[in-house]
Amino acid sequence: MRRRRLYGLAAFGAAAALTLAACSSSGSSSSSSGGNTSGAGSAPAFNSGVTSVVNPSTHKGGTLTFDWRAAPDSFDPGNTYYAAVWNFARFYSTALMTFKNCPGSCGKTLVPALATAPGVASDNGLTWTYHIKSGVKYQDGTPVTSKDVKYAIERTFDRGVLPNGPNYFANLLGGNAKTYPGPYKDRAKNLMGLTAIDTPDATTVVFHLKAPFSDMDYLLTIPQSAPVPPDKDTGASYQTHIVSTGPYKFESYQLNKAAVLVPNTEWNASQFPTVSQLPSKLVVNMNMNPNDVDNRLLAGDAQVDFAGTGVQAAARAKILSNPTLKAQSDAPITGFGWFFYIDSQVAPFTNLACRQAIQYAANHLTLQNAYGGPVAGGAIGSTVMPPTVAGYQNFDLYEATTKTQGDPAKAKQLLQTCGQPNGFSTGIAYRSDRPTETQGAQALQQALSAVGIKTTLHGYPSATYFTNFAGVPKYMSSHNIGIAFGGWGADWPDGYGFLSQLVSGPSIVPAGNTNIGMLNDPVVNDLFTKAAGITDEAQRNAIWGQIDRQVMKDSVIVPIVYAKALIYRPPSLTNVYFNQAYQLNNYAVQGLTGG
Amino acid sequence: MVTFIIRRLIGTIFLLIVVSMITFAIFFLIPRLAGQNTYQLAAQYVGRNPTRDAILQVERQLGLADPLYLQYGRFLRGIVFGAHYRTGPTDTYCPPPCFGYSFRSQLPVWPQMISSVPVTLSLAIGASVLWLIGGVSIGVLSALRRGTLFDRFSMAVALAGVSLPIFFTGLVALELFSYKWPIFPNVQYVPFTDNPLLWARNLVLPWLVLAFLYAALYARLTRAGMLETMSEDYIRTARAKGLPERRVIFKHGLRAALTPIVTIFGMDLGLLLGGAIITEVTFSLHGLGLFTVQAINNQDLPEILGVTMLAAFFIVIANLVVDIFYAVLDPRVRF
Amino acid sequence: MPDALLEVQDLRVHFRTQDGLVKAVDGVSYSLERGRTLGIVGESGSGKSVTSLAIMGLHHGSSAQISGHIRLDGEELVGAPPARVRELRGDKMAMIFQDPLSSLHPYFPVGAQIVEAYRVHHPDATKKQARQRAVDMLGRVGIPEPAVRVDDYPHQFSGGMRQRVMIAMALCNDPGLLIADEPTTALDVTVQAQILDLISDLQAEFGSAVVIITHDLGVVAELSDDILVMYAGRVVEYGSAASIFAHPGHPYTWGLLASMPRMDRERLTRLVPIPGTPPSLIRVPPGCPFHPRCRYGHLNGGRSETEVPELRAAEGTGHLVACHLTAAERTKQWALLSAGQVPDDVKETVPQGGVEA
Repeated sequence: MRRRRLYGLAAFGAAAALTLAACSSSGSSSSSSGGNTSGAGSAPAFNSGVTSVVNPSTHKGGTLTFDWRAAPDSFDPGNTYYAAVWNFARFYSTALMTFKNCPGSCGKTLVPALATAPGVASDNGLTWTYHIKSGVKYQDGTPVTSKDVKYAIERTFDRGVLPNGPNYFANLLGGNAKTYPGPYKDRAKNLMGLTAIDTPDATTVVFHLKAPFSDMDYLLTIPQSAPVPPDKDTGASYQTHIVSTGPYKFESYQLNKAAVLVPNTEWNASQFPTVSQLPSKLVVNMNMNPNDVDNRLLAGDAQVDFAGTGVQAAARAKILSNPTLKAQSDAPITGFGWFFYIDSQVAPFTNLACRQAIQYAANHLTLQNAYGGPVAGGAIGSTVMPPTVAGYQNFDLYEATTKTQGDPAKAKQLLQTCGQPNGFSTGIAYRSDRPTETQGAQALQQALSAVGIKTTLHGYPSATYFTNFAGVPKYMSSHNIGIAFGGWGADWPDGYGFLSQLVSGPSIVPAGNTNIGMLNDPVVNDLFTKAAGITDEAQRNAIWGQIDRQVMKDSVIVPIVYAKALIYRPPSLTNVYFNQAYQLNNYAVQGLTGG
Repeated sequence: MVTFIIRRLIGTIFLLIVVSMITFAIFFLIPRLAGQNTYQLAAQYVGRNPTRDAILQVERQLGLADPLYLQYGRFLRGIVFGAHYRTGPTDTYCPPPCFGYSFRSQLPVWPQMISSVPVTLSLAIGASVLWLIGGVSIGVLSALRRGTLFDRFSMAVALAGVSLPIFFTGLVALELFSYKWPIFPNVQYVPFTDNPLLWARNLVLPWLVLAFLYAALYARLTRAGMLETMSEDYIRTARAKGLPERRVIFKHGLRAALTPIVTIFGMDLGLLLGGAIITEVTFSLHGLGLFTVQAINNQDLPEILGVTMLAAFFIVIANLVVDIFYAVLDPRVRF
Repeated sequence: MPDALLEVQDLRVHFRTQDGLVKAVDGVSYSLERGRTLGIVGESGSGKSVTSLAIMGLHHGSSAQISGHIRLDGEELVGAPPARVRELRGDKMAMIFQDPLSSLHPYFPVGAQIVEAYRVHHPDATKKQARQRAVDMLGRVGIPEPAVRVDDYPHQFSGGMRQRVMIAMALCNDPGLLIADEPTTALDVTVQAQILDLISDLQAEFGSAVVIITHDLGVVAELSDDILVMYAGRVVEYGSAASIFAHPGHPYTWGLLASMPRMDRERLTRLVPIPGTPPSLIRVPPGCPFHPRCRYGHLNGGRSETEVPELRAAEGTGHLVACHLTAAERTKQWALLSAGQVPDDVKETVPQGGVEA
């Protein structure tokens, strides 16, 4: 899952800002007029950006300002796990594949970026071959070759130098991937030493896998596959002088403070229709006060909230109560799911019936309210995968969407069945610096006590939640914590990307674990293996649906909501729409109106 | 005087060593008391769902697996001699004083810290000039017009200033003067060397907010000090000599009342130079305070160590300057 | 009578406070010529300092109501513009205070403070001239190595030296009138004598009039030509020092004299203190203000409680006394008292601890 950072300081300012929001006038405070330039007839309304392109325009020029409440783990395309950075990285790096620039579920379609076409599988899915476009240059004019793609992936193997990105390549590649130390140690020997990748010529890249993996095209949308020139790679400090293959290059970068990007003259627009070069400058301001970010967006001092996960409570109130502002905002289903796990290793949840009792005991309505209600929080969920993930199937095993307040009678019955007629005690873990989870845990505690289950709440900081507490199976069992709140967004928008690290047996690890349900169901594991070998997309998607259903039967996850985010789009921003693949607005096509 | 300074500077070095030891200990011991091991600590600096190997690699790279005294020794050596770090194809040399490489970004801490200093410096010095002038003037006037409407009103406002937290006044200031009435729109820090006018204009709101808090304090302090001083015998003597009242108030009265104020000012400024945390966070100013918050949120030991020691250094130096200044101001305290 | 430098006539200084009107000084009159010393004697709260501060005009800005007359060299000071009084302050009239350590500004060298006093009244003097004057004055008051010590700070001097500095500062402009408010109270006995000698010498040299305020009769005996005894804001006895010591007329004065240890009495004679405490100046006792503490009040047949005694020439004394006792009674009681005896009919009639005012 890609990281989302929430700044706890939002809580401080919320009180003051809320009172001011209530007192301030409802006049529109944005600078430019809200009109379209060229293109679509109807004026944008609330949620226009979910299904259509708002303010379509080819107008060039202007400074596009991104405000961010946090800072990247790294801008280095090989060393980042933030969704927003993956989205933004397309401005200065070109992965082999990318997603189509269109709103709605069309945006999940895979299209080639650096590659000429999607990969070709052979050898029963163990080998994948890609060709890269010819004549692609770096910002300094040197040509991009297939070796640079191989090198880009090689460098991610040295976790001592580049610790942040995903681990897929190390897990999936064959050859000497298991023991390859990366190209930094013993450079003479290890440079280009990864036998799992071949580069027979300057434009061909061949991947050798350990086992068939049909989601290879999805995998190669990750910026880790963007080419890096070995002689310009300085390892950990590459992030301060990235050599760009995208429409922009870094002009300056003050770590954790601000970055400025300017157009890359070596970039060839006709080769890469999937990214635009509209603004004449990009500015990213980092570590801003989150309420300030919203205010600056509304005032027109910035155009994009880099984090992209929606406005804070204060701005939300302002926007929803003001028709003009509301028409300038969207509340898409993001593709993120909020839920809580039931740890099947912690008694009495070892018994299936006890776990299923929780599905009926939970009050889905109060939980939904804790997360912001239907508009700001999202619709009540009944499946692990949200509707925007390829492979989603609509089913409701425990009547969560029909009996929204739960079914205590049924819950008590199940408690009888599992041998706990008088209820029991357990702990609930949650991230204490997230108001939604704090309130959700309290709501759940109340609902469970109504059926006799006594719970103690355990709050932990986000930074160490997975590494030290909920994600440490031993810790959960030894502290009798059977329930843990969490959420998930897929690394890529299909069932594998969403489910594999949540529910597959092999993904259980002693620290940093995200399969907190401790599910090691052979049925599920086999389905994953099966899907990995199927190249037909429709068949594969059907299997994701089956996995989801089985997981819900195993009842290690209780869905809460399919997350929505209230995203504000200033009228000066062009080509704005929500992209389901990145679960954010599509940054790569945005520009500014002239006004 | 010179021996005094030298002695104090040596004392400063020892103090900084102690501060570093305590910070080191807190960073490692407290999580250990909560049951965390270094494997889990390393897991925080890797991306999500890392393999076991990945975590071990990071553990090794950050030196977390070594015993504490070894890690601390390495840190001290780095400060004095510099250190080499494996950061890619070649090792890089981090010149002294080397506060190490950030756990999170794998980039050296010192340049990041130093680049934050001008922001905090701008904020602290600008605000301090405002609050010193404003606070002291109001305090003197209040003392001289004791009991009048002006006195009561200004002390009431001072009480408000001292009681209202900066994250409230700052947000109100932004809401009113930056967003509602765009008197100070787009408040972003601009370095003084780039554009002095813009630098000043964008700092006006944080200056005022920070100065409001301190001016209130200083107004009350000055008032109390003035009232006490003006009732001293030497004031009566000054009047008995036939001096004009204005000279009695300022040369004889205020001068004496200011001595403790100036020393408190030195301490306040020293503390503020370590980072005006709340102001910087409220206004998104990338100074040492914001840097501190980031470092702690990221649990990034080298950054935490670096900023703690820098802040301690400022405070100790401020202490020293204040002591010297006091001796300059008050002849009774000379060596 | 030669022209008096200072004439005080029916001076009243009242303070309006939250608790009532404090009559700190309630009808004080005296005159002083050049070259002569007046000693003002009384307890704390008798009004002696307030009188002098009124002369100097140092009550300006407080809630004082001043009435009566103060004439300095013929010029009326009560009601004069404060700027005019300020011109005279430090120039024609100067004052030194009890505690020289707290009365000198700790931050400035003594030379600078004297220079300041000089230049405010001699604006045309150069810095060099003023500094030379300061050095001269320090030398005059007996400070060794004045050219070196002129740059020292007050805390670098001993108590006696500091008082000399204050005197130097007060006299640097040749004032005609010097008021010394308890100048030796904070000093050692040996140093006291030196300071008093100094004042006496300087007076002879400059020809200035000196008012010395004290509660110590020994000091008064040494220096004063005339003595003014004050009680509760009023004058109770006024005359030449010789006369007052020889024939004291007021029971309060008797009390002061009797409560002093004296060399010319037998060692085993007990000291006779004045019983009671000073009265509140807000609620001054009716009639004679001293009557609650006076042993002899009942000898006047009740007059002491109702009638304020006038200050007038008393037979057999040769000076002014404000008391209802007859001359005969007065002579008799004083004779007894000075022999160390207290007659039965006046023993212990006054309860120790005094009367609540």
